[in-house]
Amino acid sequence: MLAREGLLATLTGPLLERNPVTLQILGICSALAVTTSLDTALTMSVSLTIVLVLSAAIVSLIRRHIPGTIRLIVQIVIVASLVIVIDQVLQAYFFDISQRLSVFVGLITTNCLVLGRTESFARSNPVLPSVVDALGNGLGYSLVLIVIAALRELFGAGKLLGHVVLPLAEEGGWFTPLSLMLLAPSAFFLLGGLVWALRSVLPEQAEAPEVTPPEPQEPR
Amino acid sequence: MSRGIWDRETVALVLLGAIFPIAVTWLSVAGAEGLWRLVFFLVVAGIWHLVWMLARAQPPSFAGVLTALALALLAPQELGLPALVLSTSFGVVMAELAFGGWGRNVLNPAVVTLAFMGFGYPAAPWPELAVQIGWAALPAALIGMVFGVMAPGILLGAALAFGVAWLAGVDFTASYAAIAVVLVVLVAEPVASAATAPGRWLNGLLYGGLVTLFVVAWEGAAPVQLAVSAALFTSLAAPLFDEIAIGLWVLKRKKRHG
Repeated sequence: MLAREGLLATLTGPLLERNPVTLQILGICSALAVTTSLDTALTMSVSLTIVLVLSAAIVSLIRRHIPGTIRLIVQIVIVASLVIVIDQVLQAYFFDISQRLSVFVGLITTNCLVLGRTESFARSNPVLPSVVDALGNGLGYSLVLIVIAALRELFGAGKLLGHVVLPLAEEGGWFTPLSLMLLAPSAFFLLGGLVWALRSVLPEQAEAPEVTPPEPQEPR
Repeated sequence: MSRGIWDRETVALVLLGAIFPIAVTWLSVAGAEGLWRLVFFLVVAGIWHLVWMLARAQPPSFAGVLTALALALLAPQELGLPALVLSTSFGVVMAELAFGGWGRNVLNPAVVTLAFMGFGYPAAPWPELAVQIGWAALPAALIGMVFGVMAPGILLGAALAFGVAWLAGVDFTASYAAIAVVLVVLVAEPVASAATAPGRWLNGLLYGGLVTLFVVAWEGAAPVQLAVSAALFTSLAAPLFDEIAIGLWVLKRKKRHG
């Protein structure tokens, strides 16, 4: 993992093979909540990736000085400080999007993905691999968010980033929007379908079945 | 359930036979247009059953015909072809085939499809069921109960709830047909409903209660819409009723035998 060629694997691994959202099912609540349109999903992806990379760098820098007993508190303090900065920046420069993201930027603090990476990787690795790993995981999270958000905005409103792609029937086009796509359940359906598709392509990601159905038998 | 001739397909065929009165009455009202709808849903459901037979070696089932019939009866009007194909595929694949086929599903595929259409295309008008289709539900329920494919607990529990509500002064005249057809075709279907005797009574009572609540309190809902919504919530609660019934049984055994 620490070797030079390992860095590339650390960066690209979390994109598909060890994707934090589809394999470990982490960071789901924000992934479901902010994906109604592509711009909110993009903002969220960028914010989370920045927080993840910076917190991994800081935690990794002071990893020899964090007492084991209070390490979670220290990590949360670091993450929360970064989140506050990001939140203030968004409110200052992207007020509209920050209003639509509501609490979900603040909730990056408790995002399992951030704590999971700082706790499991950055705490026990040097700075460079930690940053690369954090960047890979942030990009993996962003990839899933962008795919789901693009599908939801395209089929729910016929737009991408606010530009009309599929002209709506009520405005003289031909496309009838699927209102379900703008409701929360559709994010579950899409994410479930995505996980299903990914695990069909990469079967080693699939979990072992918990039960085996009994063979049908002739009645005695 | 493999006791002699009573395998899955027998149950599906007897269920089809039981709702035959509803199907015939509906076809005589809807005519050729209704027949086309039925053929369309049969083709879509049939194609998915075939795909899953080829891809996963899952035997196709006559339950697909049940789904198609329920959809032809209850699906909203004036939906475009892509919308119909999309929602039917979603219901048939995600609610039934992905779980391993009819008998292993948690929710009725027709209910899921109808809910998908309702939430996805809220502007599409729901069909108006003629009064005689509602009356045809009575012989259908009777046939189902006599042949043992529909649980008396569900049907009688729902009837009990409606009786109480009617005595309390709730007016069901406008929505009777939709309520009765949805009860017989979707709620009483043996796979997605409760499977224990007390659970079935609770299942029927909940459907009756929910429909009464919707009739009284849901402004502007079409009769089919409120009945289908009640069916969706009821089948979501069905495993809970079974759990309650089994828990009560275990408690009783413990009390008796220590």
